[in-house]
Amino acid sequence: MNVLSRIFGRKVTENFRDIGFEEAGLALKKEIDTAFGRSLAIRELDSGSDNAAEIELVNLNAPHYDVERFGISFVASPRHADALIITGAVTRNMKIAVEKTYEAMPSPKLVIAVGDDACTGGIYGDSYAVLGGADKVLPVDMKIPGNPPSPAEILRGLLALMKKIREGSRA
Amino acid sequence: MEMLGKIEKIAGGKMHAKISVNMGNEIHIIPQKAEDFNALIGAFARSGFGLVSLFCFQPHGKGFRLIYAFEKQGYPEIAVIQRDAGISVPSVAGTFPSACWYEREITDGFGIRFDAAFDRRRLFLHDAYPDDFHPLLKSFKNKGITAKSEISAEEEYAFKKVHGEGVYQVPVGPVHAGIIEPGHFRFSVIGETICNLEIRMFYKHRGIEKLAEDKAPEECVRIAESISGDETAANAAAFCIAAEKIAGIKIHSRAAHLRTVMMEMERIYSHLGDIAGMIIDVAYPAGASPFFIFREEMLRANAELTGSRFMKDAMCIGGVRKNPSNEALSRLSSRLKDFSSGFSGAVKDVLSSPSVVDRLETTGVIRKDLVAALNLSGPIARASGSSRDTRIDHPYGIYSGTAFAKRVLHEGDVLARFKLKAAEIEDSVGIIRELIAGMPEGPICEPAKIPDGSAFSLVESARGQSLHWLSIRNGVVERYKVRTASFCNWQAIEHAVIGNIVPDFPLINKSLNLSYAGTDL
Repeated sequence: MNVLSRIFGRKVTENFRDIGFEEAGLALKKEIDTAFGRSLAIRELDSGSDNAAEIELVNLNAPHYDVERFGISFVASPRHADALIITGAVTRNMKIAVEKTYEAMPSPKLVIAVGDDACTGGIYGDSYAVLGGADKVLPVDMKIPGNPPSPAEILRGLLALMKKIREGSRA
Repeated sequence: MEMLGKIEKIAGGKMHAKISVNMGNEIHIIPQKAEDFNALIGAFARSGFGLVSLFCFQPHGKGFRLIYAFEKQGYPEIAVIQRDAGISVPSVAGTFPSACWYEREITDGFGIRFDAAFDRRRLFLHDAYPDDFHPLLKSFKNKGITAKSEISAEEEYAFKKVHGEGVYQVPVGPVHAGIIEPGHFRFSVIGETICNLEIRMFYKHRGIEKLAEDKAPEECVRIAESISGDETAANAAAFCIAAEKIAGIKIHSRAAHLRTVMMEMERIYSHLGDIAGMIIDVAYPAGASPFFIFREEMLRANAELTGSRFMKDAMCIGGVRKNPSNEALSRLSSRLKDFSSGFSGAVKDVLSSPSVVDRLETTGVIRKDLVAALNLSGPIARASGSSRDTRIDHPYGIYSGTAFAKRVLHEGDVLARFKLKAAEIEDSVGIIRELIAGMPEGPICEPAKIPDGSAFSLVESARGQSLHWLSIRNGVVERYKVRTASFCNWQAIEHAVIGNIVPDFPLINKSLNLSYAGTDL
């Protein structure tokens, strides 16, 4: 492929600029600057999802969304994370791993439940294999429902959380 | 029914077995005595039958019935050996290695012991589950349970130990570094070379099969969709097909067309994710970006078609719930045409880079003889010289009338899987555009009353063969068995990585695209 045309040619991302998403992203960037001092490091943890939420979280980094522009990064270790995103109801087999991941994070730390199952336990209500939503195991600061929520919905949920934190710290 | 004749020939003579046909394409064989069962298993192995599933259920809530499902290349039917079981049964894992996980699964679920089994460790019940707890027994009513508060050293899962000078272990997971599902990998390594890998899955075990029990069939479509989010259409279709077989209904032609469009869209976006992931894993994000862009466009097309990016809530027993307009369908068709030319250009781009090809070629080879032994299916099998494709081997829906050829490559390495998936994306584009061109008008859903009965259904998801078995009694689900392609295909990774270096593991894993959720259930 021709590297020069990539540098000087029309940018591919110009083809799918979504004004609503851009505005929400820039608002989020402003909130993160205020509440978190420029960046928000997120660790993702799947505690029993059906994997669709993971796909949408990966999409946040893909060219259409590219949320690193807004100060959000997904980090490889809980030790580097400000916030934990949990997807899926918490299974019995994941309980210890969920607790250890949370313990490994430095305080202060946030927990965000993404998807219906993480928010409420979803369809797994009485299952022997599931403990319930993320709040059965960890203190949850924000719930972003959906089956799964779209990348734009996840971004708006993060924006709502940052606003909540800013307002909380002022109060 | 050529298969019936073949089985009668095998089971005839000295063996005593009752043979019957269910749902037109299931040949059920009930051997009369224990020695007839053993002889039949041996004869099936010699005649080239492959074990595609093994599970247990309790007919009318009593006793144990084991179901061994087989297929044989070239025959559209499936052969099913049934036997009643006491609390212990001979293992068939020595003859059919793919039985190993099934037998462990049955022991966890029902408490049945398999004599002479080479692996008796727990499978989906991890260490914290109490002793003598068997959730699939009818006597257990689904509810929260009290787990063990402490796990002693003997109760901890025993990994295989590899000894020798310079051998060390690398434990990875269940929580991984990226945005990925959880699972544990135990590598034994000399220098950088992997000499053994043992995987431990089922961290995401949610109790899907038990969850479906005693529910009305229509409530379970949602459960089938939750088996694996990126196999929503395939598993929803497989569940619905099983229910429709029991009800004896044929869905309307428009519904059959739309279902197939959805399943092929799923194949396209799933394969696009794998291709993007493989290129990311060889550290070439600029090459991967076009595929991420295409995948997002496909997810958006799904939303336009069905209201959901993952096509959730789009199918029902008797047909489909969403009826896209013909204009929307022709928009999709032209969108796919544009996509197709952009896609082949992007594939050419990455494969023209020697550093990409160098990483993909000869990496993570899966030998052809593993395909039958482990019951591998999907692109993994087809990139290793097998021609297994459920759409052609056991035609369902409208695949029997769709013209597409099987794709087979022989190298079995990551590059072969990459090329095969790229080719299958092009095929799926062709199938969808052909279906849209011939899209009939008419109703999309036929209401169905489902009588008592049981049926298998086999569907080719993006990952390979998804097998569902549904038994209805008194209008509710008596037993729902699911075996996705990933359940079997995961076991291939332990073989594919041998002799490779640890840094190639993510690449091999991505090329196999295995669903944790779909395995753990």
